[in-house]
Amino acid sequence: MESSRDDKLAATLSALRPAPRPAFAAELDERAAAGFPPQTRATRSPVARAIARLRGLSPQRVLLPAVGVALIALAITSALVAISHTGSGVSSDSSVASAVSSPASEGAAPTQMAPNSSSSSAGAAGGTGATPSVESEVAGPEVEIPTSAAEAADSEGGTFDRSGRYASGAPHRDVERSAEMVLGADPTEVSDDAAKVFAAVHSTGGIVLNSSVHDGSGESAPGANFELLIPSAKLGDALGAFSQIAEVRYRREATNDITAPTVGVSERLQDSNAKVESLLAQLAAAESDGEREAVEAELATERRHAASLRSRLTALQRRANFSRVLLRIKTGESSAPSASGGGGWSIGDALHDAGHILAIAAGVAIVGLAILGPLALIALLIWLANRAWVQRSRQRALG
Amino acid sequence: MDLPFARSKGVNQTLVAAAQEAPREADLAFDLLYRSSRDDVYAYVASLLRDGPAAEEVTATAFERAYRKRKRFDSSRGEPRAWLFGIARNAALDELRRRGRQAELAVEPADLLAAPAHESAEESERRIVVSTALATLEPRQRELIGLKFFAGLSNAEIAAVVGISESNAGTKLHRAITKLREACDGVL
Repeated sequence: MESSRDDKLAATLSALRPAPRPAFAAELDERAAAGFPPQTRATRSPVARAIARLRGLSPQRVLLPAVGVALIALAITSALVAISHTGSGVSSDSSVASAVSSPASEGAAPTQMAPNSSSSSAGAAGGTGATPSVESEVAGPEVEIPTSAAEAADSEGGTFDRSGRYASGAPHRDVERSAEMVLGADPTEVSDDAAKVFAAVHSTGGIVLNSSVHDGSGESAPGANFELLIPSAKLGDALGAFSQIAEVRYRREATNDITAPTVGVSERLQDSNAKVESLLAQLAAAESDGEREAVEAELATERRHAASLRSRLTALQRRANFSRVLLRIKTGESSAPSASGGGGWSIGDALHDAGHILAIAAGVAIVGLAILGPLALIALLIWLANRAWVQRSRQRALG
Repeated sequence: MDLPFARSKGVNQTLVAAAQEAPREADLAFDLLYRSSRDDVYAYVASLLRDGPAAEEVTATAFERAYRKRKRFDSSRGEPRAWLFGIARNAALDELRRRGRQAELAVEPADLLAAPAHESAEESERRIVVSTALATLEPRQRELIGLKFFAGLSNAEIAAVVGISESNAGTKLHRAITKLREACDGVL
């Protein structure tokens, strides 16, 4: 009985089964034979078409090109970074440069550099007697003087009337110059080359502040270090003369405009001198002892102030008039082939460069992951949320 | 003197052409699936949408999606018919979402009224009663009835399509049939 009812129910439901129209069935068969070309492609927007095409692709076919594009982009970026990094290293960051204190790059005045601790002798090729006075006058007051115009303007309590923050209106520029040079010499010729350096300094009227010459007899390697003061007007001649002594492995020149502090100190000195004159006049006109004592006290203070300003002005003028030069004579292979242009590209260099490029590539990859990782995570979360929302809305649509 | 080379070249060209023209395994399998499921998919989709033109469009869309995904089908994860009906179900539900309508598992009123010429009065009455009884079922129960009797799926396939276990599908289907039979009480 139950089975009969079920059979009748099944038969009735089968009779209720919707059947496709013959025309639709035939059309669908044709489309199936043609590989189901999209019917609404003409009416779709390009974006919708692209999305539909992407959905039709397998994950492997989407993922592989995406990974390929990402790898190519990574390689190009690494190459660009490596090239730019290598380029900057050649121009300014050689090992020689790092071994020598660099006033220009550190923003410090040459006179503020620490003296060479290995200096064993101090002498002057052209003016031995002047050396101590130069050292004391240069090294003393200059420590207090700012090395840039901006710092000077701040320390002086404001801008300069005539020149502004950078003394742009000054008719004459006071420029402090400095230089570094590394010469490559044969170990047996270090002493001769050092003598030539002294001679060159003497010929330009310069001063040897510190010098040390090692001929290789001890444990230290042959070489020489010089800390020189060269008249700024003859700095070019001196460097040219040094270049003739031995192979130039490294050369660097720097300038520092000290016009602003010079003008500022000069103007303040004029004011101080005028005040001293005024106080002298007051002292001459003083009628009582008390008034005279007060003026004398003020006069003494102002004279000390004027002396200090004068000393600072002298120091500034010396910085402009004399250029500090650090000269080294080194022996052995050059550690900065780009500076000298000598030396070949060895297997070791290739391995070093390869390691360098790999390190850069790893760095770029890490940075790329740091950027793309969160983006990929956000995209994944959006995709998962959208998928869950679609599934939920489908269930709601079913009722 | 160039005969061996020329013959070899010709044979190679023939083999390559034959290989290119031969339909691949996935295409053959899909062709079989299409031929065996075309009317079933339409019947199921039409029962969900209760709209002939929309059912035709959704059926075509479902086969188009399935065709584009045919190489991604993994036979170890289920039967191809269940996979195809899953795609058709999603396409039909997407259509319902677009319309903002509730799914109604019933054939079109026009089909109900259009009784076959050879149908007896008893059969016609039974058909109307069953159709009316179907309308009283919950949508999910109507869908199970449609998958079972319109699409002809097995319980395992229904479970895969709806996303439940096979035993659960059997239980739910039994409840739906019982409820339908009760609604048709006195006629069947």
